[in-house]
Amino acid sequence: MSFHRLIPVILLKNGLIVRSQLFRIHQTIGNPVYTVRRLSNWNVDELILLDISTADFHDMRRDDMQVRYQDSTSLGVLKQIAEHCFMPLTVGGRVRSVDDMRERLLAGADKCAINSEAVRNPELITAGAKAFGSQCIVVSIDALRKDDGSLEVFIDGGKDPTGLHPATWAAECERLGAGEILINSIDRDGTGWGYDLELVEQVSAAVSIPVIACGGVGAYEHFPSAFLEAGASAAAAANIFNFFELSYPNAKKTCLDAGISMRPVSLGSRWFPREPEYEFEAETQRHQARLKRARSGRFVAAENTAPRNVRWCTNCVYPSLSATPMEFDEDGVCMGCRMGSMRVDTPQQEWDRRKSFLVDIFEEARSSDGKRHDCVIGVSGGKDSYFQTHYIKNVLGYNPLLVTYYGNNYTEAGERNLRRMTDVFDVDHIIYTPGIGLLKKLNRLGFTIMGDMNWHNHIGIATLPIRIAVQNGIPLVVYGEHGYADLCGQFSMNDFVEWTYRNRLEHFARGYDWNYMVGREGITASQMTAYQYPSDEQLYELGLRTIYLGNYVPWDGNANASLMHELYGFEFGNLAFERTYRRASNLDDMHENGAHDYLKFIKFGYGRCTDHASKDIRSGIMSRREAIELVHKHDPVRPSDIERWCEYVGMSESEFDAIADTFRDARVWWTEEGEWCKQDILDESK
Amino acid sequence: MVTIIDLNIGNLQSVTNAFQRVGISVSVSRTPEEAKDARVLVLPGVGAFERAMVQLNRQGFAPLIRTHALEYQRPLIGICLGMQLLADRSYEHGVFEGLGLISGDVIPLEPRPPDARVPNIGWMSVKATKPSIMFPECVDGQSFYHVHSYHLACRDESDVAATFCFADQQIVTAVQRENVFGVQFHPEKSQDAGLNLLSALMTHVTSLNRQHAV
Repeated sequence: MSFHRLIPVILLKNGLIVRSQLFRIHQTIGNPVYTVRRLSNWNVDELILLDISTADFHDMRRDDMQVRYQDSTSLGVLKQIAEHCFMPLTVGGRVRSVDDMRERLLAGADKCAINSEAVRNPELITAGAKAFGSQCIVVSIDALRKDDGSLEVFIDGGKDPTGLHPATWAAECERLGAGEILINSIDRDGTGWGYDLELVEQVSAAVSIPVIACGGVGAYEHFPSAFLEAGASAAAAANIFNFFELSYPNAKKTCLDAGISMRPVSLGSRWFPREPEYEFEAETQRHQARLKRARSGRFVAAENTAPRNVRWCTNCVYPSLSATPMEFDEDGVCMGCRMGSMRVDTPQQEWDRRKSFLVDIFEEARSSDGKRHDCVIGVSGGKDSYFQTHYIKNVLGYNPLLVTYYGNNYTEAGERNLRRMTDVFDVDHIIYTPGIGLLKKLNRLGFTIMGDMNWHNHIGIATLPIRIAVQNGIPLVVYGEHGYADLCGQFSMNDFVEWTYRNRLEHFARGYDWNYMVGREGITASQMTAYQYPSDEQLYELGLRTIYLGNYVPWDGNANASLMHELYGFEFGNLAFERTYRRASNLDDMHENGAHDYLKFIKFGYGRCTDHASKDIRSGIMSRREAIELVHKHDPVRPSDIERWCEYVGMSESEFDAIADTFRDARVWWTEEGEWCKQDILDESK
Repeated sequence: MVTIIDLNIGNLQSVTNAFQRVGISVSVSRTPEEAKDARVLVLPGVGAFERAMVQLNRQGFAPLIRTHALEYQRPLIGICLGMQLLADRSYEHGVFEGLGLISGDVIPLEPRPPDARVPNIGWMSVKATKPSIMFPECVDGQSFYHVHSYHLACRDESDVAATFCFADQQIVTAVQRENVFGVQFHPEKSQDAGLNLLSALMTHVTSLNRQHAV
């Protein structure tokens, strides 16, 4: 007999992966190409791709990312995914005819999933099976358990009732020629409570074709029950595979340990290395074309004169076109605000429960023989670093090892804060400083390749603590907050999202891993060791977990800063920043709030002041009117540290400005009489 | 370099991607003329036996494939339905002549629910039956992705390279007779195992061709 299968589901909305909750809330996770590569790297059994887009169009033209889409159609995305996909691929979403199926099969799908249209037009199942064989036709069923406990099939994204019972409907689908049933629970979606086993069991019992269980998985332990208790042939899930490092291998291990017959755990594919393979020459040509555009002053954004359509969150000041994975709900409120208010409303009782989870994690990780530290904390010396160290050392009583990536651009106050930590906390601290020559090269490369001189900083912070942990056999690394969960509500609090390689590559490194830089400006692989992430085998063997303290402890950046000042003499910046009103952020890098953030404004038309003001609106300490005033004041400022940076790396300021302008996003900027223009947040009411 | 025969009955992109992934360049041929100088021919296929065989004959590929394999003694690789087409005949919805390069018949899988269902879809653990180029040691015991309702019953045991167990029966899933190779499963959908197999096979096949050239 064939093995049971464990199947990741990718939910695509307008070209991007989303996390789904009750079929209604969708939070953007990122570009599917990174995820599919990762899944291929793990040799997954099969993949299901469900496109829940509202339109056959997506817009992913961000010019500073390494992966870009070649076109803007769903089929185009499918083709690009299929290139990285050497496992059976099922594709669903808006399949309404045999021609729709054929299109998808020709674009690389092996099976098609049909859902709403199968209910409206059951003959489509038969027609599809006749044209391509039953093995090609998966009927996807979304079932809702109503308040009285009864089950009903809903269609059109879980919106419309059908009067059908899922088991009866599944049996009918088999009779009509379906080869497989994908049964999904609407009310369990995104809850993390586990499968609706009774639903899966009823459907399995009603048919003789394979049944794939889906909906509700929040822990690896939920997978085996689909087979053992509900008779499924395959267990599928979407969200959980986005939450944790090595999620698929660990989920599989849980099934194998439970005695389920499955293909073994596989790490480190020979044919799909985890680090992307880059085409050196093609990439070099791309950079040269950019430099040429900079010299000639022919900027993409200036070519298009059509009206731009940026909107802003109706609650905070976050724009719809941003550097972050942001979604808006039907009321025009951003997910950052939605998740932020959930956070504020979290009762103390819940925080107590979370603290007990945290203590469990630390107890499992603590050094039993005294031969190592209990955990690693990645610190920059900022307010959050202080708070983490304070909490872990002085509140919980564990012995952390602090690790700092020292990017050579500390402000004076930031430097003093960093050096003070060993004294005020009495902890060990590794401060890793790369060679200055290398840093200058990486500054230049980061700026010209992706419009961000601080690429090295972000990938350094995202790598070094993990490297040191693996080298010392320490199974726990702690970061502060998940930046995007905080800023744009990327996850739900119940996800307890952890650090992953995919997140590091896509969001910290923009798709440019360490190996991208090898061979550029004479950089060798061995010079880049600090940026080389430990292998999956090493992470798996150590059982390394990298958690965010913010998931377990109430977190308020402003309050933390004041408390740390009081308790440990944490210094605020003595000079006001030009680009934000806050004083305690990013003292570890004089360009982070300056030239780096100015580039965000150049690219997307907003800056850090927008981030800070949005957070402060959500915490209830700022009005939207005040926020808009601050944004107007700070976001457009061209900061004075550009001069220092240009001198540091040997570039003229005019060259800096010209290269920066090549990154202007054409969806935000246009020119009028040689001046750059964009919409203003105050235009929204007009 | 391999030449893939396009019978215009399915997507060849996955097969093409797989060869490219293991470092082999690919050309796709829609006419025998385009394929007549092929060093290595690949015959993929999905769907029904009869329709594929009709296409092979209509497009004039059948004589070319025989010449390639028998006269020139050049490598020929059949994948999934492509392997079934190598047989003498098939009993799928009638009786139809095959290419006759591997002696045997294509017959239905016998289902035995609940464990052994037809069509047989999924990952099967595959065992080598002899040391062979088609199913080398590096993939012995690994699982491969299968989608099929019929299977090839070989007349000559020595043609069988690997089998899997289905309802207590050993089902042939890889064959080799000299320079003629075939697999029932989809190496292009079998992740590392499939790509390892293609890579090992191509290494041998390339050296085989080199010997012929001398």
